[in-house]
Amino acid sequence: MKTKAMLIDITKCIGCRACEQACKEVHHFPLEHEPVLSATALTVVEERGDKFVRRLCMHCQEPACASVCPVGALKKTAAGPVVYDGKKCIGCRYCMLGCPYSVPRYEWSKLVPYVKKCDMCAERVMAGKQTACAEVCPVGATIFGDRDDLLEEAQKRIRENPTYVNRIYGSEEEVGGASVFFLSDVPFEKLGFVKPPQTLPLPSLSEAALGEMPTVVMIGGSLLAALYWFTQRRQQVMAAEAEEKAEKEAKNVLRFRDKERS
Amino acid sequence: MTRWRIPEITLWRVIVGLIFAAGAWATYLRFAKGFQVATNLSNAQPWGIWVGLATLCGVGLSAGGFTIAGAVYLLGMERYRPVARAAVVIAFLGYLSVVLGYAWELGLPWNFWHPLVMWNRASVLFEVVWCIVLYTTVLALEFSPAVVEKLPWKGVRERFLHWHHRVLIALVLVGVLLSSLHQSYLGGLFIIFKGKMYPLWYSNYQTTLFYMSAIPAGIAMVIMALYLSVRSLNVRIDMRILDDFSRIVAPMLVVFTLFRFADLAKQHALGYLFKPVIETAYFWGEMLLFVAVPLVLFNLPQVRRSPIGLYWASAVTIAGFVMHRLDVSITSLERATQAGYVPKWPELAVTMMLVTAAVLAFRWSVLHLKILPRTLEVPAPTFQLPRTTAYVFPAHPGAAVN
Repeated sequence: MKTKAMLIDITKCIGCRACEQACKEVHHFPLEHEPVLSATALTVVEERGDKFVRRLCMHCQEPACASVCPVGALKKTAAGPVVYDGKKCIGCRYCMLGCPYSVPRYEWSKLVPYVKKCDMCAERVMAGKQTACAEVCPVGATIFGDRDDLLEEAQKRIRENPTYVNRIYGSEEEVGGASVFFLSDVPFEKLGFVKPPQTLPLPSLSEAALGEMPTVVMIGGSLLAALYWFTQRRQQVMAAEAEEKAEKEAKNVLRFRDKERS
Repeated sequence: MTRWRIPEITLWRVIVGLIFAAGAWATYLRFAKGFQVATNLSNAQPWGIWVGLATLCGVGLSAGGFTIAGAVYLLGMERYRPVARAAVVIAFLGYLSVVLGYAWELGLPWNFWHPLVMWNRASVLFEVVWCIVLYTTVLALEFSPAVVEKLPWKGVRERFLHWHHRVLIALVLVGVLLSSLHQSYLGGLFIIFKGKMYPLWYSNYQTTLFYMSAIPAGIAMVIMALYLSVRSLNVRIDMRILDDFSRIVAPMLVVFTLFRFADLAKQHALGYLFKPVIETAYFWGEMLLFVAVPLVLFNLPQVRRSPIGLYWASAVTIAGFVMHRLDVSITSLERATQAGYVPKWPELAVTMMLVTAAVLAFRWSVLHLKILPRTLEVPAPTFQLPRTTAYVFPAHPGAAVN
């Protein structure tokens, strides 16, 4: 299967919130509308001026959440979705902070809490279907398809219509790219989109830090061992010298005594 | 036969009782009602003081264990040997309370063992968990002779101590390496938060910064614990040891600060030093408590000569250190998350309970195990000693002959 993705065209969205409702149905959540992302609202449509902006997991190509998870509960699948395995999760919540878009939510009110985030309808996608939100969108503001095709489609739209901002949010400039793309006719910063901290994927930062580990162990270990050997040896030498000195003194005393007696 | 008596009620016992009662109630809330009732954690602020204080400061303040054990066993600084065991015990109890604290902090604490079998080598937290588990084991082994000595079986005791003596150096060496790794990687946890953290606290070299700040703080912690042991547990040690330790703290703080400012310059964050925003006040407050005041105090001869002066100088250093780590883990994220996080009382109560338990355990081990040299209070004799003639030793062998 080719890598899938979603393209969300903000110029087309009419704010009907059908995607929100479809998402809640698929995930068996209570159906009432929530204004912001929560453990029971994995996507929401936010109003920004006269525009409607969907919020959801970006399904990064190299997700920070998957990289920081100490047990590998989050995984980027070959099909595109970043999925979560609650059976592995220990509940450290590092993923929530690691995510540059601050998307993952936690079930704070539950006694057995799990992380919740959009899973790009992974099960449906595996079964060859579309995501629920894309399927239900009445105006085609959210469309689902092969990642390459959608990128081409987005470029085509920008080429053909100069009112678009010349940028596909999520294509590659944003921490190594994602599997959810946004098109807009208003600068993304004005719509509350996160300004990505770097163009490279975030996990490269941790990798750089972790890469120093073998060096630290090797150099540190040999240095410590050398220091230990050195101090040990010095103490041995000092002990031997002290013994020698004591012996010499004892001999001197004997010689002195003999001299006195004679 | 000792009869069980109702313990005497003292102010400190009442305080300890209250802390444990509050901790127990907080524990009930955490496990019977969940995070939402017991904490002010939220989607915007998923890490609170259980991470910022209990873990980051708990581990950092335990750094005295590897530094002093390393100095004595690896570098042969024999004059600190009398306090080496105490430093190891402090570290061991510190790590134990950090590890136990995860029962409250983790959402699914019964899965705590997962990182040991489900590996993700890309995760800094994975490396930290492994290092902490291994190092806590190393500390337990370093500390074990103190317990084994007290066992009633002579054979076991001797065999164990014989074996222990042979591996001790290796243990200490591994301990220093493991500590150096996870003390740094605790800071490494924050490297991936690029863009979310306020520039005054974000650094690509957070690993180095955490390592550099942990060492002086850990040693300050040992100074405090030793002073209190001398003061209230009849411990007798050469007080010049405390002075020697304080001579390490001040230069380490200078190194940390110089590195920090160089790093701020490298990250082009010097412009944030005087911006009229709340973060600036936090930053300079931290500089005052963690750097300026300790440097002045540790360099005043009056302070250096008096153990209580060193005690208070160390206390200020630790307060500054705690402020620094809370700033890195909580304050720095506030602007991005807008969470307005203030810990709820059960979060504080659990942390206080863990700290108190560690202090009580330290007190118990000093009183009942051979951790530090103590003068014992000898009970007054119940009978009159017979008068004896004093032995008079001859001045020197020659005199006796004549």
